[in-house]
Parts: sequence; structure tokens; C-alpha cells
Amino acid sequence: MGDAWILPALPVAGFVILLLLSPWLPRKGDWVAIALMATAFVLVIALGKDVSDAIGAGSFQGTARSWQWFNVPGYIEIRMGTFVDQITLVMLFCVTFIALLVMIYSTGYMHGDRRYGWFYAIVSLFVASMLALVLADNLLLLYFSWELVGLCSMLLIGYYNEKQSAAEASKKAFITTRVGDVGLLIGVLILFTQTHTFNIHHILSMAEAGQINERWLTAAAICIFAGACGKSAQFPLHVWLPDAMEGPTPVSALIHAATMVVAGVYLVARMLPLFESVDGMMELITTIGLITTIMAALIGLAQRDIKRVVAYSTLNSLGLMFVALGSGAVGAAMLYLFAHAFFKALLFLSCGSVIHATEEQEVDKLGGLWGKLPITAPVFAVGALAMAGLAPLSGFWAKDEILVGVKNGEMSQLVVVALLISLPITAMYMTRVTLLTFFGKPKDHHVHEHAHESAPAMTLPLMLLAALALVSGFVVFDGVGKALGFHSGWLGFVYNLGEGPEKYSADWAMSISSVVLVVFGLAAGWWFWSGEAKPAARAAAFSPLIYKLLLNRFYIDEVYQLAIDHVVLAAGQVVAVFDRAVVNDTGVNGTGEATDFLGWIGKHQQTGKIPNYALAIVIGVVVIAVVAFGYRG
Amino acid sequence: MEDVAAGVSLQHYVVLSMILFSIGVYGVLARRNAVLILMSVELMLNAVSINMVAFAVYTAPSLFEGIIFAIFIIAVAAAEVGLALGVILRIFRNRGTANVDEVNSLKW
Amino acid sequence: MTQIFFYIMAATVVGGALGVVLVRSVVYAALFLVMSLLGVAGVYLLLSVEFLALVQVLVYSGAVMVLIIFVLMLTRVEDLKQHLDGDQRPLAAVAALSLLGAFIAVASQTKWPRYDGDLTVVPFTTISDALFNRWAVPFEIASAVLLVALVGAVVISMQEEGER
Repeated sequence: MGDAWILPALPVAGFVILLLLSPWLPRKGDWVAIALMATAFVLVIALGKDVSDAIGAGSFQGTARSWQWFNVPGYIEIRMGTFVDQITLVMLFCVTFIALLVMIYSTGYMHGDRRYGWFYAIVSLFVASMLALVLADNLLLLYFSWELVGLCSMLLIGYYNEKQSAAEASKKAFITTRVGDVGLLIGVLILFTQTHTFNIHHILSMAEAGQINERWLTAAAICIFAGACGKSAQFPLHVWLPDAMEGPTPVSALIHAATMVVAGVYLVARMLPLFESVDGMMELITTIGLITTIMAALIGLAQRDIKRVVAYSTLNSLGLMFVALGSGAVGAAMLYLFAHAFFKALLFLSCGSVIHATEEQEVDKLGGLWGKLPITAPVFAVGALAMAGLAPLSGFWAKDEILVGVKNGEMSQLVVVALLISLPITAMYMTRVTLLTFFGKPKDHHVHEHAHESAPAMTLPLMLLAALALVSGFVVFDGVGKALGFHSGWLGFVYNLGEGPEKYSADWAMSISSVVLVVFGLAAGWWFWSGEAKPAARAAAFSPLIYKLLLNRFYIDEVYQLAIDHVVLAAGQVVAVFDRAVVNDTGVNGTGEATDFLGWIGKHQQTGKIPNYALAIVIGVVVIAVVAFGYRG
Repeated sequence: MEDVAAGVSLQHYVVLSMILFSIGVYGVLARRNAVLILMSVELMLNAVSINMVAFAVYTAPSLFEGIIFAIFIIAVAAAEVGLALGVILRIFRNRGTANVDEVNSLKW
Repeated sequence: MTQIFFYIMAATVVGGALGVVLVRSVVYAALFLVMSLLGVAGVYLLLSVEFLALVQVLVYSGAVMVLIIFVLMLTRVEDLKQHLDGDQRPLAAVAALSLLGAFIAVASQTKWPRYDGDLTVVPFTTISDALFNRWAVPFEIASAVLLVALVGAVVISMQEEGER
């Protein structure tokens, strides 16, 4: 466990090798990246065994190992190192597993692309920084990896760099997450000034013991949460995630489903004791999560691009995870993260398969593909049902745990009600997208004619993910956990460290209500959008205002653009004018012109007339005499 | 040793030389004709000579450097006047004027 | 007695000088210069350096003035009578007067050496002794200077072939 630093080192090696040597390697070196990733995955499994044994052996608080980076004696010592506990392990597993599948999938999807080698290099770098992020034992290393992750995300979103929209999207992603990142940096620095350490454990124990000034602690908590909101696309920093679909679909699956967007969830989970020490913080987290999830579900009802619908479903899920964290239900949140990684990646990769098959993304051009895509279509349906939360798929167990956790937590029961309301909405929009894409009459015959199933490199990961989406929810049971080699079920493995391991117990009232609501949502979706989707059209015509609001994503993007145009750019104008008029014209040019002017004045002294020069001499003598005389006398 | 200087002290001669020098300075600065300027320079040289000789006679007569100095001043002044007048003649032939205000091609 | 003589000589010198710088005709100015130089010779007499007075009259007010008057003739300045004074007359006066003021200030602050009415006269033979013994080298150099000046003056003012 102390050697966990190897885990990020492997993909870093992959990055360096691919960056330097990829043009000369056979197949541009994708096998290098895949081999290293597979090795990392195997090591993660071994690590998981170790951690499980340690938990079984006694109270396990995590293993840390660090090296001194630099030391100013008497003032500060900065150490870099790794910290492994259950939350880390879940993240490590998700990241390496999904990354491995995505890399295998990409050999088919990205085949023949112009920058194939570079793609694998940046994906490797991304995985490396993600692993470093979850392994970091101090906030400084976490922040470094956080930024690196953001960089890789930006590079990959803008992968199709000949498209203007892709460039805009990557810029938007980077800047929006930057707003959050600034908050994170400020929070880290505030904590450092208050505690003189970057080490997460020391900070958390100091926060719990009440040793940090309350106002600074509140400020730091809000700033760090802002960072998490940026990366995990919570309201109001959610605007970059749908646009990030400009990137290649494997990238969307890896970064925007399973790994990067859950970095914020990881951060909040890791720093939970800090947030629990601040009054009102948990309420804030819950509120933001709730707003995000319901808003995303509503918008998803009206989007026409299948990748965008899945993107909004990601926002939906992320909001749910934050709501869970807001009630302190770490186990539930991580379970949802775990299951979500599988079915979200599944949804994205099957979208990719559809796009690869038909070269189209808009539902207006799709339809009736069930028969044409015999593998992609069913697995997509499985993913959609898991997302909707139909029992006994993985999504159901995870959502159930969240509902139970929130109900047993300290938040008002209105939160539970709101979550229950969001269940049928989720079911409805997932049904909608499935129906519009795969069922009904094909809307574009040309597209329909040419649709073909994808290569095994792409379909095999899909099938694997579908299987996992079906069964991964069962890990909540102790029996399943023990069968896998762990000493208990999920909740005994991942739990809120402040509360201790739990056993799974079924809350029948909650489970039955959620099943009923989901089925209701599925049925409603079927009724609205099956066949010719006439009821949906009538609903849209019934209230064009609401439809427009949903279609245009509540106009949030437009509001931001307005703010940028009128505030940011206006401020920029002022600064630009200042720079031109004061710094350039007066400061730089002005100095030159002043010298020139002085020279012009000075040259008139050279009249060429001897009497003038003689006068100057005499006056000089007189002045010197007066000065000397005055000085001495 | 005769009592030649009764009532006239060193200060008298020094003040005289100062006045003469100042008048010479005025002449150099205010006159336009080159030859007139030269004449004013002669006045200044003479003032210096008077000064030197007066100091020599009143303070260190046994050494009489001042007197020797005055002799040399006269000799060199003569040489200098000769040369200066040659230059003035040259300029007069080239420019047609002996007016120093008009000889200003080094003007900016 | 000496005082009266001194003041007469001083008046001559200063009057001549003022004449040089103030009159409107160059020839008059030259003549005033002669008067001033003769006055200076008289001052030397007062100081009992007869040799110097002699040299002054012979060389300065004799040869040098003749030279100057010759040049005045050659540069035909009689035609330009009215343009003798430059534009910086006021400033020049100010400069000269401030110079004089500085001198007087310095002079009034100096500790003059004690004078008890006795003045040693330097015999002429001692001067010539010194001139050709102790000051022989400067004497020779002065002769060289005169030679160079002579040659130089000739070269500078020589009229080339075809020159005006």
C-alpha cells in the first residue's frame, strides 16, 4: 500500500513514451498505453485486497506515505505523498477500469484519426493526473493534479481542433472550471495560513477539534466547495459540460462520465469532516445538488442531440451524488459513483457506437435503429434503465441508498420529496431518448440504410459494461461482498469515517415508492414518445414557453454571455484604454518625447555665435565663484 | 630702497586690475567686430599683467616671478595678436564681413 | 604724491578701456586702446619696474597696435560704423558687473599682507640675470612661439593664386 505512487507513474510513463515516440511505434503505440493501463488496473485490484484485509484486521483509517519536498526549518515543511483509504480505492478502481475499457474502445472509434498517438498520450496523462489527484495526501498535490486534469480535459475537448465549435467548447470548459479552481486555490491557501500545513489529515483533525478560526473555516469551505462545483459541473458552473460533448465520444465517456466530473464528489467526500464543522455548509451542498439534478432532468426532456441528453443525465447524477454527500451519506454517494461509472460510460460509448454507425447525432435524423444495431441498441436500453433506476439494475440500489441516507440524515424531508419527484422525470427523458433513437419510424432513410453495427473492439466493452450495469448493484449485500473477497458488503467497506460501517438493511417503504415512481415515469415516457410521438408534440404545442425554456437550457448560457460582454469585456476595455493611453502613450512614448523635447530646447543653445559662447563662459565662472564663495564664506 | 609707494597699497592695484578686467570682459561680450573683441582681450591681458606685477612687487620682490610672467605675457600676447589678425583677415576675405554675429555656420 | 600719480594713471587706464568698449568708431577705439596701454606703462613705472614699462610701450602700444590698425584698414570697417555692438549688450553688462562684484567680494574678504609703507625696488640687472639664467628655457620657448606665430600668420593670411 505504501507503493501506491506507482499507480500514477505508469500512465505518466505512457504519456512520455507516446508523446516522444508515437510516430515511430507500430499502430502509433496505442498498445503501450493499453498495456500500462492494464497493469495499473491489476495493481489496483491487489491494492483493494490489501485494504480489505486491513479493514478486516481492525479499525482502518487509511495508509499514508510521504516524502519531504522542501523544508524551511522552523517555518514550513512541505511533503508530498499518497494516502490510501476506501474512498481512494473506489476512485482508483473506477478510473483505471473505465480508462482501460475506453482505451480499448478507442482503437475502433478513433481508428485512422490523424492524431491517434497524441490522443492516447493525453488520455494517459489524464489518467495519471486523476490517479495522483485521488491518491494525494496533501492539498497542494491535489491542486496540482486538479489543474492537470483540467488541462487534459481542455485538450481533449478541443481534440477536433479544426472545428470552431470544439475550440469554443474547450475554452468554455477551461474557463468555467477555472472559476471554480480559483476558489479551490483560495480555499487551500486560507487553510494553509490558518493551519500551516497542507496535509489533509492534519487539517481535518484540526477542523474537527475546532482549532481553526470559524470565519476563515467557513470561507475556506465555501471556496473549496466552489472548486468542486466547477469540476463537477454543479449549478451555476454547469454550463461547460453539455458543450464538452464536442470532444470525441470515448473522451466524453472517460472524462465526463466516470472520472473527472466525479473529482468534485471525491473532493467533498474527502473533506467532509471540514464541511461538517461549518454551519450551513451541508445545507448549501444539498441545495446546490438538488437544483442541479432537477434542472438537468427538466432540460434533458427537450434536447435533440443524443450526446447532450446523456450529458444532462450526467449532471442529473452528479447533483444526486452531491445531495447524498450533503446528508453525510458517503457510502451511498460512492456506491452511486461506482454504479454510475459503469452505466454512464455504457451510455456514452453506445452513443459513440450509434454516431460511428450513422454519422448523425440528432434524434431528428435517427429512429428505428433497433434492428440495425443488434448489440448497441439493447445495451443502450440497459444503460438507460439503469440510469432511470429500475430494480434490480445497479442504478436502483444506488438511488435507493441515497434516498435512505438522505431520509436518515439531518436534512429536511422536503429533500427526499424533491428527489422522489426527480425519479420519474429521469425515467421519462431516458425513455424518450431511447425511443426516439431506436424505435419508431426512421426519420432519415439514407441514414437508416447505411447504419451498421460497430467493430468488436467497440462492442465488447459495451457488452461488459452492460453486464456490470445489470449486476453491480448487488455489492450492497454482504454475501456478494464476501464472495468477491472483501470482508463485507459495500456499506461495510465505504462509509462515513465519522460514523462507522453500516450493514445493508432494506427500507421497504422507500424502495417500493421509488420502484413505483420509476415505472410510472417509464410508462409516461412510453406513452409520450412511442411511435409517432404525437402526445409529446401536443405537450410541446400546449406550452411553447415552457418548451422553449427547456430547449434553450433555461437561457443560462445567454445570461452568462451577456454578463461577459457587458461586464468582463467592458472592464477589459477600460484596462485596454488605460494601457494604451497611460502606459504606452504617456509612459513609454511620453518619456521618449519628453527627452526629444528637452533636446530640442537644448539645441537652441548652439547659436554658432562666439559672443554667446563667451557669455556662457563668463556666467559659468561667476556662478562657480558665487557657489564657492557662499560655501566657504 | 626708496619710499616709492607711500599711500598706495596692494589693494589699489588689485582693484584697478579687476576693473580693467571687467571692462575687458564687457568688451568681449558686447562688441560685434572681431578686431574690437581682440582689443578687449588685450585689455584683459593687461589687467592680468598689472595684477601679477603688483603682487610680485608688494609681496615677494626678491623672487620677481610676477615680472617675468608679465614679460612673457607681453611676448605671447604679441604672437597671439598676430595670428588672430591673420585669421580675421582670412575670414574677412572668405565671408566679406568681420562681424562675428554673421560667422555662425555651426548653428544647429 | 605717489597717490596722485597713481590715480592719474589709473584714470588713464580705465578711461581708455571704457573708450575701447563704448565708442562707435573702430579707429577711435584703437586710439583709446593706445591710451590705455600707455597708462598701463605708467602704472608699471609706479611699481618701479621700468624695464617692463619700456617693453610695454615699445611692443604693446607700438607694434601690436600698429598691427591692429593695419588690420582695421584691411577689413574696411569704416563702412560699417553703426553695427559695432551686439545684441547681448545688456546681458554682457550684467555678466561683467557680476564678475566685478565677485572680484570685489573676494577682495574684501581676503587678508591682505601687512604693508608698512616700504617697497623694495628691483634693479633691472637682476631681472635680466634671472631671465637668462633661471628662466632661460621659457625664454627660448617664447622665442619659438614667436617664430611659429610669425610663420603661421604669414601662412594664414597668404593670398593664394586666383584668390580675391
